[in-house]
Amino acid sequence: MIVLRRDDGRYPARLRVLSRPPETIWVEGDPGACAGPAVAVVGTRRMTGYGERVAREIAMACAAAGVVVVSGFAQGIDTAAHRGALDGGGRTVAVLGESIPVFLATVRGRRRPLVPRVRGSGALVSQFAPPVGPRAWTFVERNATIAALADAAVIVEAGVWSGALITAADARRLRRALFAVPGPLGSAASVGTNALIATGVARALTSPSDVLDAVGARAVTPAGPERDPILAALRDGPLGVDELAARTRIPLPGLSARLAPLLVRGTLRLLGDGRVGLVS
Amino acid sequence: MLAAAPSLAGAIARVPTCALWGLETALVTVEVDVASGLPAFQIVGLPDTAVSEARERVRAAIRNSGFEFPLRRVVVNLAPAERRKEGTGFDLAIALGVLRASGQLRRDPEALCLGELALDGGVRAVRGVMPRVRCALAAGSRDVLCADENAAEAAAAGGTAFGVASLREAVAHVAGDARRPPAAVPAPGPPPRPAVDLADIAGHGTPKRALEIAAAGGHSLLLVGPPGTGKTLLARALPSLLPPLDPDEAVIASALHSVAGLVDPAHPLLAARPFRAPHHTASHHALVGGGSPPRPGEVSLAHTGALFLDELAEFSPAVLETLREPLEEGAITISRAGASATYPARVTLVAAMNPCPCGHAGDSAAQCTCLPDAVERYHARLSGPLLDRIDLRVHVPRIAYEELRAEGRERSAAVRERVAAARERMGARLRGTGRRTNAELTVGEIRRHCVLGPDADGLAAEAMRSRRLSSRGVHRVLRVARTVADLAGADGIAAEHVGLALLLRGP
Repeated sequence: MIVLRRDDGRYPARLRVLSRPPETIWVEGDPGACAGPAVAVVGTRRMTGYGERVAREIAMACAAAGVVVVSGFAQGIDTAAHRGALDGGGRTVAVLGESIPVFLATVRGRRRPLVPRVRGSGALVSQFAPPVGPRAWTFVERNATIAALADAAVIVEAGVWSGALITAADARRLRRALFAVPGPLGSAASVGTNALIATGVARALTSPSDVLDAVGARAVTPAGPERDPILAALRDGPLGVDELAARTRIPLPGLSARLAPLLVRGTLRLLGDGRVGLVS
Repeated sequence: MLAAAPSLAGAIARVPTCALWGLETALVTVEVDVASGLPAFQIVGLPDTAVSEARERVRAAIRNSGFEFPLRRVVVNLAPAERRKEGTGFDLAIALGVLRASGQLRRDPEALCLGELALDGGVRAVRGVMPRVRCALAAGSRDVLCADENAAEAAAAGGTAFGVASLREAVAHVAGDARRPPAAVPAPGPPPRPAVDLADIAGHGTPKRALEIAAAGGHSLLLVGPPGTGKTLLARALPSLLPPLDPDEAVIASALHSVAGLVDPAHPLLAARPFRAPHHTASHHALVGGGSPPRPGEVSLAHTGALFLDELAEFSPAVLETLREPLEEGAITISRAGASATYPARVTLVAAMNPCPCGHAGDSAAQCTCLPDAVERYHARLSGPLLDRIDLRVHVPRIAYEELRAEGRERSAAVRERVAAARERMGARLRGTGRRTNAELTVGEIRRHCVLGPDADGLAAEAMRSRRLSSRGVHRVLRVARTVADLAGADGIAAEHVGLALLLRGP
């Protein structure tokens, strides 16, 4: 773990714009990942399949354009963003709301296997001295750090009370470009982001290239729309076999014959509840 | 004159009865000796508490039936004496033995005597009559003397059953003063009318298909979906798809119900395969059997039929863990101090659960409010031992209104015909092994019977190479694929059969 004081040359310059920059930050990985063009991709922990896909697509576009993805390593959107950046071969910085040793000792579930990948590609960053654990106030301070460390912020999904809205307010205060992903009307996970757009606080993100333009990076031409109807139907989250048959209009016998090779080759996976999903 | 009087030396009476440990039975002779000495009444031959208490019931019943309890030294031996005897079924035999040895009964009771006595001399029903009568039949004795309530069950088991309501009637019958008529063999129960027909359920093509595969091959099935999408209804349609009971299966299943005291007196022989649905608060004793004396649990009562575990995630993990042995072995052995019992437990397991703690993951009509890690933990609670033994896992989604109105749904009877035909193919393959379904194929039999067509072979080989399937997983897929092919009437397994098995396999 690297300890960076404010007088250290490797201390991220962007943090100095904060009204009270942290005296010390702790870094696991490469402190250099905090320099260079960066986009914060954050959102609710209670994401939908749509939010997961969009977070992933934005992060992969950033990765392809050589832009660092900054997020908070929380469950949900944050994890989808980190994972997208890593799967796209890019760099990602995780800003934690607790001290690094406490996080490493307690992280479980789907995030755990991501830890070494984040450390290897970019960095885990914390402004909290060990053994500070996760508290409500630590996340508020952490959100400001995320906003400061990136040149632009994208809020993918946020409910009414989502902490991602704090990051949005911080980004606005720091005059960072701020985008929100428009969501379906009636989706609880998009009430906050839609409100950001409606009130003019954030710009609507219509494509990952919007945010890449804002940080001066050039979007690499994205892959064309998915041709395979099965893969296209699964982009917004896993589906049961019957739902997939209805969505693709492929009746069951033929569908299972087409799904089996995709499952065997690892393009698709089966979930614990019997649904079929894309492997991400 | 001297020869007719009961001599003191030869006053030993012998009455046949039968002991029961689990499903295991053994003929027992109740020997009663009435000798001079201080008045005493002893039962020897490893009686348990209930058998020892027979002394008080027998004494009162004899007195209250107008007979005299001998004021001498009465010793009852349950031979063979080496095994512990359980339950109240020996009361009638002991009482008749005492009356015979004390000269109040003129003839030896030759029928198998089974019954508990009331203090007023009434004869009460006991559990486990069916296996005990079959034990006596095997030993060449047909006649059974038992409570009226048990007579139909004894007759259904093949015995000539004489039902009596009281000890007086029993004595009159044995002495020949008033013979009871043999009980009529009960008519087989009415053909089963399953509660739910497949045609009652709209949509759900894949879950119905999975149900058909489970019914045919005896594969275990997990239905996952949001609340209110019809998981329970689908599971309850399973009995309507199961093939009729074979006579020898019916006997064992009925005997298990008899041991548990769950026989319908009017129709002692089961007419339909059992369908048991224990509540999720069930203890492991209730689920796999136990207690002292050991009684069969739900998994054994469902033998030859289906066991339905609704809200699987709500069951205690420790309780589910105990299901492992019966699901794997097709039988469960319950050991207690001084007693152990083995019950068959070959069931088709159907389970249902919500996809996440709030129930709405993947629900088109409501948004899931669970954190991703909470969903993961929810599934992890179940993973391991039990989910490893689930062959089929299928998502039951919320269905659209248009589907609710769609016509042309297939009836259960049509599916049942396919299931029966598939079972016939399986039966021919497994003849002489005692096993009946593809779910029970051994690894050697899989190699022999699950011959893959060229395209299916490629798919299976790719699945193996990709290391996404363990070898146990491959065997599971092949067993299911064999059933899919059997349902299609195919000898070889084609790619589409393996494909469906892979798709319904779960992660």
